[in-house]
Amino acid sequence: MSSLSNEQLETAAAYALGALDADEAADFELQLALSPELQREVESLREATGMLGASTAPVAPSPGLKQSLMAQLADTPQLPREDAPVEQMAPATHSAPGRHAAPTPAFERDAAPAAARAPIPMSGLAADKARMRWFSRPATIVAAAAAAVALFFAGVVTADVVRPSAGNQQVLAQVVAAPDASVASSEVAGGATASLVSSESLGLSVMVFDGLATLSDDEAYALWYITGEQISPAGLFTVDADGQTVQVLEGEFVAGTIVGVTVEPASGSPQPTSEPIVAIVTESA
Amino acid sequence: MLVLVHPDSEATTAPAEAPPTAHADEATALLSRVATGDQRAFSELYDLIAPRMLGLVRHVLKDHAQSEEVVQEVLLEVWQTATRFDPNKGKAVTWMLTMAHRRAIDRVRSAQASRDRDTRIGIRDLGRDVDTVSESAEISIEHKRVEKAMARLSDLQRQAVELAYYGGYTQSEVAEMLGIPLGTVKTRLRDGLIRLRTELGVAS
Repeated sequence: MSSLSNEQLETAAAYALGALDADEAADFELQLALSPELQREVESLREATGMLGASTAPVAPSPGLKQSLMAQLADTPQLPREDAPVEQMAPATHSAPGRHAAPTPAFERDAAPAAARAPIPMSGLAADKARMRWFSRPATIVAAAAAAVALFFAGVVTADVVRPSAGNQQVLAQVVAAPDASVASSEVAGGATASLVSSESLGLSVMVFDGLATLSDDEAYALWYITGEQISPAGLFTVDADGQTVQVLEGEFVAGTIVGVTVEPASGSPQPTSEPIVAIVTESA
Repeated sequence: MLVLVHPDSEATTAPAEAPPTAHADEATALLSRVATGDQRAFSELYDLIAPRMLGLVRHVLKDHAQSEEVVQEVLLEVWQTATRFDPNKGKAVTWMLTMAHRRAIDRVRSAQASRDRDTRIGIRDLGRDVDTVSESAEISIEHKRVEKAMARLSDLQRQAVELAYYGGYTQSEVAEMLGIPLGTVKTRLRDGLIRLRTELGVAS
């Protein structure tokens, strides 16, 4: 028996046929990320569309195409397997773990060079995304996004951490400097980006948003920790016109949790009342 | 999880009369070898898939040179991401053709030339490209199977599915072109694809 709504089933068909526009596809991929049942539906529909694709008359490529491709292979690295450490995607210049073993309160001065020297391990992000959406996005783009996030955080830490009263940024710097820090990022419906930095050992996670839309006065963004069936509120926030904000999640971060964001009434909700605008899956410890 | 398969004897297979499943299995086996960095396997995979991929991409894009570019990009991506292919989630051929289809529709939508595309192109019959290589018996069987399955759709369902998949039109564009409500298009796409899945015997 299917628990998928009729709308989800229709959207799944349009998605499998490639008939969603970019925004619709991004929205649907969020739902897809959260629903194994929906993933199975899409996979099965894709076998049918795959046969549509396979039934067109073959066309012989020009001989140069193969030569050109074969010549590129040697210089084109293959992605590491999913069970391999994904750090290979970032420059492998890890500094000694002892450097970060004990995050100190003095991270205001320490964090920037630490972040600059030690790339944030690219955790669950690329692997999970690739796993969930093997059919949808080139993994190279995900890897590029991860690298951009690492740069982005280096920038955030360098530029903002010394600001007085920037409590959230201080926590961010602390999490970034944790030996087991990992970062995952995702597009938000509407073109914004959300990046999650988390550390299992610290039990902390921080979301960094860029380009988030401002809401009306009676609405707020709500953060959620989603673990299996359990959805726990992890804070409410709003955003200024610049659309950038750093939010420390309330509650204990556990690796493998999904962090979701919804739009809720300004007073908050005990459970999400709308579709998530973004959901980020973290890698199990 | 990626399941590695190292078949010992697939290199000698692929006679023209092989059933479609053997074809799919061969692609999966080759892709598994490609995932280990095996360039020879990639060469064989190319011979197996490139003409079909180009057939599909050109069906959507029309322009031959652009279509070759797309095929090159996609096959390089196949090389890079073969390590991430999960055979539990579908067939290798589907995986590769899905990537190619996606790239093709991205390209066709971003191109200004898309204004020139019209309903007649979208709804033309399956597989009427000129300048195609002769089909192997195997592809021809698949072609007939799909044609037969497509014939079981209502005319309106088939039109919507073809406009979307081969024409590269979004469901909103299809609604606009046909002058019908978006909800109707969604229903036709859904019902059409479900019927197709059933007729093609794909497990749901």
